Amino acid sequence: MKPLLMKSPARRKGAPRRTTGSRILATSAIAMSVAAFAAAPTASATAKNASSVTTITWWASPISTSGPDLRKVLIADFEKAYPNIKVNLQTAPTDTDTNRADLVTTISGGANTPDVFMGDVIWPGQFGAHSLALSLTKVMPKSFFSRFASGLVAGATYNGQVYGAPFFQDQGFLYYRTDLLKAAGMAVPTTWQQLQTDAVTLVKANKVKYGFVWEGDAYEGGTCDFMEYYADTGGQVLNASDSASVLNVADVTKVLTFMRGLVTSGASPQAVDTFQEPEAAAAFQDGDAAFIRNWDYQYAAAQAKGSDVIGKVGVAPLPTFTGGEAYPGYSNIGGWNLYINPHSKSVSADTAFINYMTGTAAETVMATQFSEIPTNAAVRANPAVARLNPPFAVLAKTRLVPRPAQNPNYPKISQAIYTNMNSALAGSTSPSKAASDMASQLSAALGSSGL
Amino acid sequence: MAPTEIAPGPPATLPGPPRVSHEDLIRRNLARLGWGFSAPALIVIAAFTIFPILFSIIVSFEKVNVSGSGFSFSGLTASNYSIVIKAALWHHALWFTTLYTVVTVLSEIVLGTLFALVLERLTGGRGPMMALLLIPWSLITVVSAELWGYIYNSSYGLLEGLFPNVLGHPFSATIALMVADIWKTTPFVTIIVLAGLVMIPTELFEASEVDGAGGWKTFWRVTLPLLRPTLGIAVLFRVLQAFGLFDLPYVLTTGGPGTSTESLAMLAYNTMFTDLDFGPGTAVATSTALIVLVMSLVFLRVFKAQVGKETPNA
Amino acid sequence: MRNRTRHGWRRWVNWVNFFSLLIALFVLLPMYWLVASSFKTTASVGSSPPQYFPIPVTTSNYQVAFGDYTFGRYILNSLIVACCATTLVLVLGILAGYALGRLPVRGKYPMMVTLLMISVFPQIAVIAPLYLIMRDLGWLNSYEALIFPYTAFNLPFAIWILRNYFLGISMSMEESARVDGAGPVRTLVSVIVPQVKPGIFTAGVFTFTACWTEFLMALSFNIENNFRTIPVGIATFGSQFTVPYGTIFAASVVAVVPIAILVLVFRKSVVSGLTAGAVKG
Repeated sequence: MKPLLMKSPARRKGAPRRTTGSRILATSAIAMSVAAFAAAPTASATAKNASSVTTITWWASPISTSGPDLRKVLIADFEKAYPNIKVNLQTAPTDTDTNRADLVTTISGGANTPDVFMGDVIWPGQFGAHSLALSLTKVMPKSFFSRFASGLVAGATYNGQVYGAPFFQDQGFLYYRTDLLKAAGMAVPTTWQQLQTDAVTLVKANKVKYGFVWEGDAYEGGTCDFMEYYADTGGQVLNASDSASVLNVADVTKVLTFMRGLVTSGASPQAVDTFQEPEAAAAFQDGDAAFIRNWDYQYAAAQAKGSDVIGKVGVAPLPTFTGGEAYPGYSNIGGWNLYINPHSKSVSADTAFINYMTGTAAETVMATQFSEIPTNAAVRANPAVARLNPPFAVLAKTRLVPRPAQNPNYPKISQAIYTNMNSALAGSTSPSKAASDMASQLSAALGSSGL
Repeated sequence: MAPTEIAPGPPATLPGPPRVSHEDLIRRNLARLGWGFSAPALIVIAAFTIFPILFSIIVSFEKVNVSGSGFSFSGLTASNYSIVIKAALWHHALWFTTLYTVVTVLSEIVLGTLFALVLERLTGGRGPMMALLLIPWSLITVVSAELWGYIYNSSYGLLEGLFPNVLGHPFSATIALMVADIWKTTPFVTIIVLAGLVMIPTELFEASEVDGAGGWKTFWRVTLPLLRPTLGIAVLFRVLQAFGLFDLPYVLTTGGPGTSTESLAMLAYNTMFTDLDFGPGTAVATSTALIVLVMSLVFLRVFKAQVGKETPNA
Repeated sequence: MRNRTRHGWRRWVNWVNFFSLLIALFVLLPMYWLVASSFKTTASVGSSPPQYFPIPVTTSNYQVAFGDYTFGRYILNSLIVACCATTLVLVLGILAGYALGRLPVRGKYPMMVTLLMISVFPQIAVIAPLYLIMRDLGWLNSYEALIFPYTAFNLPFAIWILRNYFLGISMSMEESARVDGAGPVRTLVSVIVPQVKPGIFTAGVFTFTACWTEFLMALSFNIENNFRTIPVGIATFGSQFTVPYGTIFAASVVAVVPIAILVLVFRKSVVSGLTAGAVKG
């Protein structure tokens, strides 16, 4: 048997003997030396300097989509006002659930950074109950909370303690195609039933592909839309102490029947049960829809380059039900708060930061330069602000309804709502069955006895 | 050509002192060498997996609350598991994940083997074809899911004309997920099978052709038996990965419509990180691991892959 | 004669080439959609009916990805982590796979089953305890925070695969090597390993891809921008109400390139060694 240690016969004559092995070694040597070199400065960016400059880390997901970055603009303004505090920005994932998962892992692991994090308005109940945020009631003066528009602080409270400082707010509006309504001689609808009729008329007359688009997918946004319809019937989800369900099954059935009716009558496309904000907005901006329910960014997006409906968009408060609550209908509260990490080592710098970010200067910048709805009551009351854009002009006329987020089991509550709403919308279950399922799952969620 | 261990037997004819002890010495040295070779890998694995896995298993048996100060345990209990077993959500997730695994793995194995057979015959273009095949596999799972989400989108997707609301019904959403998975993962099977095919000596094929066997007969009688261990590994690990399905439904359907495409891993993740119920969440994860483990062991027994069945000193 | 050279028109028009073309289409059509969409403007991305060709063509998505989102840094981080982890996995895996495949080690069946059990456990459940380990080691926001867990979690699969390929080699290899006077390490490196190059290639590619695309651990351990990897970086694209498909696809087109290079570079050395017929009975 010939010896096997001879050289591989596949090697061409004269070719250098470079085997896979040595190639691997070379690559790894390079990679490891680069790694060692780059890994050397692993000092966290929040190390304090010898001087009196404090550095805090702010964890925030991107807010503005185009143009200057809102977060960086505000940080620059803050650092000018407070030269002793430097802010290090960490970009969070844009998906709010991924964002929360990351924060839960880091904070429960005892991390000192981020010091301040921007979180969803529906987090105070959960974060408060699990001590994942510092109670602002303990570190802020009482006067701090009076600067906010009414209802916002209550939404950030759990068990008597305020956990989040409202940073900017969002809410639902009804946007409509001014050209289509004018041509058909229609007024802006003030009831849902009227909206449905108008939408069907326009679709049947082939003026537009979809009548009314909104967010009906089984996700948190679905709960937002649902709350708006449900509040219009006068219904509530949780009792005053947020401990028990007071869901009115009859009202829910009414709402779900109406939603399903939107699809069966042709006012909304069946696909609306998979629409989230991007899909609905795209349909509207492509000129395929006459009405849309969306957040306040929709106006600016419809006026941006590339939109097919520039100059043809009007804004109004949401309609209500005939025989339900009075006009205007309820808009669901969205937006983001600022929270403090309970393990933060620089609480005074954090409070200074939050104080500035929710103060008149910063909130005015947000309203004027970035079209974000301010949470500061003084800024909102400023008549100049109301003139900035159509959604702001409508603001004062709207009524707000929060989601039932004061209960720590809110994610399960929300899931009970949006899964059954989506099921009824898709036609997989009848509205009455979906309503009773919603009620029973809601009670189960409150008892936290299920998965 | 059944490979066995290195076990040189005693020589047949020479009289004299028995040579067994010398062979034993070689064997013991080789065994020690074997442990020496395996030790680094096993140490690294143990250091970063044993503690986390044990921790998770313990958490699943405790009433646990996660808070800013970490995990706080308040009593051993089996209630996490009873919650899980009674939950309709878990039953559905289990059924969905199992169905998904069976269909996708079967399709990928068949398709992958067919692809490999074709590519093995390709003389010139095999390299570029292999690079091409690896592109879907090398796409980040989240990106691949976004791509298919973009294709299936109900407002501006590619399939809008043909299938307007693919993700809106449980059945079509499931099929959509499977198609996306099969597209991305068939290359995995193809590469494994191709590597196995290439290692089969060509004389065996030539012998079979000399015997007058046609293409398919050669495949069933010669190729497939030799490919069995390779296919076995491919199936085993595909099943493991498919059962841990997470990224695709998380991005494409968010478990929808409703919760009809929520896989076991998604359920575990949501329970842990959205509901902050770490006890039941880890119970879901641990029970999933147990199920997959039992399935794999049964599979190994049945398939009789070469895992020490013929070794004398297993 | 399986792979006989065909002559005339059959050189190009035959069933092997036809099916290869089908396979290529299977792979390429969605990829075309990915690449084409990466050159679309934001408005055309969301247009309905969909635009099959990106008109107008724009590279703004690439500019945004690399400019606003410092994507170049993420690529570097991913490269470092994936290369180191893959190297470690291959070296340790070859040793362990060889030992558990061909050396008379006691308890190898329980060992293989344990490895299987480890790769079976859902990674979601181990994130939180792993975070605690990384925190205690002081490795948060570093390369080692990812390299070592990736190695640990990819080794079981690599060992299984490599062991399988090792077992496929004729048993007489070690005998002849010993007759030639080679020690066990030399035997392994010079004789056995070249025979399983396809297996090494397979394990290497899969490990690299797994590290390249891993999301959960990278998200939890490396929060600082300097150490983020590609999947985490992509998760920060856009905003709450927009999914910037154009930018995401632009970033992923660039992220696929290293893997394609890797495959082309290493494939040649693997296949050429084999087709010369080094595998003898």
